[in-house]
Amino acid sequence: MKKVLIICGTGVATSTVVAAKVRDHLAAQGIEADVSQGKVMDLMGPAPEVDLIVATTEVPATLDVPVVRALPLLTGIGEDAALAEIVSALS
Amino acid sequence: MESILGPISGYLTGLGPSVVLPVLITIFGLILGLKLGKSFRAGVTIGIGFIGINLVIGLLGGQVGPAATAMAEGLGVSLDVVDVGWPSSAAIAFGSAIGAMIIPLGLLVNVILLVTGLTRTFDIDLWNYWHSALIGALVAAVTESFLLGLLSAAVHLALVLAFADLTAPIVQKYFQLPEISFPHGTSAPYGLLAIPLNRLFDAIPGLKGLDATPAAIQKRFGMFGESLMMGLVLGLLIGIFGYGFDDPAADSTAILTLAISLAAAMFLLPRMVAILMEGLMPISEAARTFVQKRFPGRTFYIGLDSAVAVGQPSVIATSLILVPVTLLIAVALAPAGNRVLPLVDLATIPFVVAVMVPIFRGNIVRSVIGGGILIGAGLFVATWIAPTFTQVAVASGFALEEGQTTISSIVDGANPLTAVFFAAARLGVPGVLGAALLSLGAVFAIRVAMARRDRAAAAAGSQEPSA
Repeated sequence: MKKVLIICGTGVATSTVVAAKVRDHLAAQGIEADVSQGKVMDLMGPAPEVDLIVATTEVPATLDVPVVRALPLLTGIGEDAALAEIVSALS
Repeated sequence: MESILGPISGYLTGLGPSVVLPVLITIFGLILGLKLGKSFRAGVTIGIGFIGINLVIGLLGGQVGPAATAMAEGLGVSLDVVDVGWPSSAAIAFGSAIGAMIIPLGLLVNVILLVTGLTRTFDIDLWNYWHSALIGALVAAVTESFLLGLLSAAVHLALVLAFADLTAPIVQKYFQLPEISFPHGTSAPYGLLAIPLNRLFDAIPGLKGLDATPAAIQKRFGMFGESLMMGLVLGLLIGIFGYGFDDPAADSTAILTLAISLAAAMFLLPRMVAILMEGLMPISEAARTFVQKRFPGRTFYIGLDSAVAVGQPSVIATSLILVPVTLLIAVALAPAGNRVLPLVDLATIPFVVAVMVPIFRGNIVRSVIGGGILIGAGLFVATWIAPTFTQVAVASGFALEEGQTTISSIVDGANPLTAVFFAAARLGVPGVLGAALLSLGAVFAIRVAMARRDRAAAAAGSQEPSA
């Protein structure tokens, strides 16, 4: 199963909103994935073992995991494009 | 009116937020057009979040409170007020009588401000109304007036929205977030104070060119970022200073238990709040659609949680340095009257500096100095409000026995705006009304400044093609 890590400032606030949307969308598309949340400070340590990071905030440039910017999922502007990007990154 | 509202709010606080909020949220969801099932599920989820947070606050109070007191006696450093952090503050705020009303009140205030054109930020992040609810709850506790509390919460929200408008162009440019602003109760007031500080720093000769690179700092201070390790180390230190080592068996047990408990509390609190958030989300989404549908075609700034800015390298670097600096400041200021022991909110420092950093144009040296000054001053505010903060927490149904542990929070307890509203409340009715008038004056002044800025931008824009 693919692993998706949702990152925001606290691992609580905006990432909860984004995680719910990503979970719903992936389920609707029939893609099985493990969606978890984290805070950006956690990325300062060893790199997380995930297939995709979806971040509402800036993440360190040194990560070798694909990153999708999640701002559209918060504002609703460009939401479909962002969801499509997430799906294509996982397939 | 007060005589009717008094007993009602008394009964509601008696029931506690874990019972009242599920009911309120369900009703509110229905009004906004959510289906009953979805609405009810959201309400119950929020109730569960409250129970979870209460469990962890109990752990903090029971484990850390006595150890902090013991450390205070042993070292002669009286840091006996436990910083329960923003997750607890948010829960306490939503759990108060004011918090029960804050979502409809906040939406109303925001819509009125948009319709009248006084502010242009639409806050789509209803979660962050808790900052205003906390102010309202503190004012209500001091003045013993529910209505004055509501008024203060409304005025606080208006101020924060105006601050968000004011800092929006800088924020949008620096973080490359078009159309976004941060009406965030923590970040916005600190950001405002960074403007005069930046002018001051410009005037200090040695400081002007000083800066540091984020990458090196992240490498060296990275360990301060992980709340799990931070909790463990802080717990060990407090334990060693608090319990000593006269009786190796008993003391080592106490120290190690404290360390793992503090690590657990710092790790668990945000998880519990995530449950609250999950419940609030469908309501927040419904409210956003509700308002956007009724005011189409208006251009807003979209008000977001400053959490989206926290990952910016200079914000992270500044925050990492400020973790140990804040602890040192707290100890150094103890003889001068600070009693707050920074704990949970050490992980929330990014929110203090999120809007300051762009105003300092990403300069880390300035951000650390500016942040340190404001946090240092804020510790006295957090100490000052601690008894009332504790009283509000107990009234909101949180498991603290009054007189046993005193709690406060750095992020919103130490906030400059908290100081203003708390001082006003201490002056009684004239104070609260005076503060409300002054705040509305400030909102209006910001509106005037914004209009001037718009005209300047328009003039610059129209000249550009010919130049």
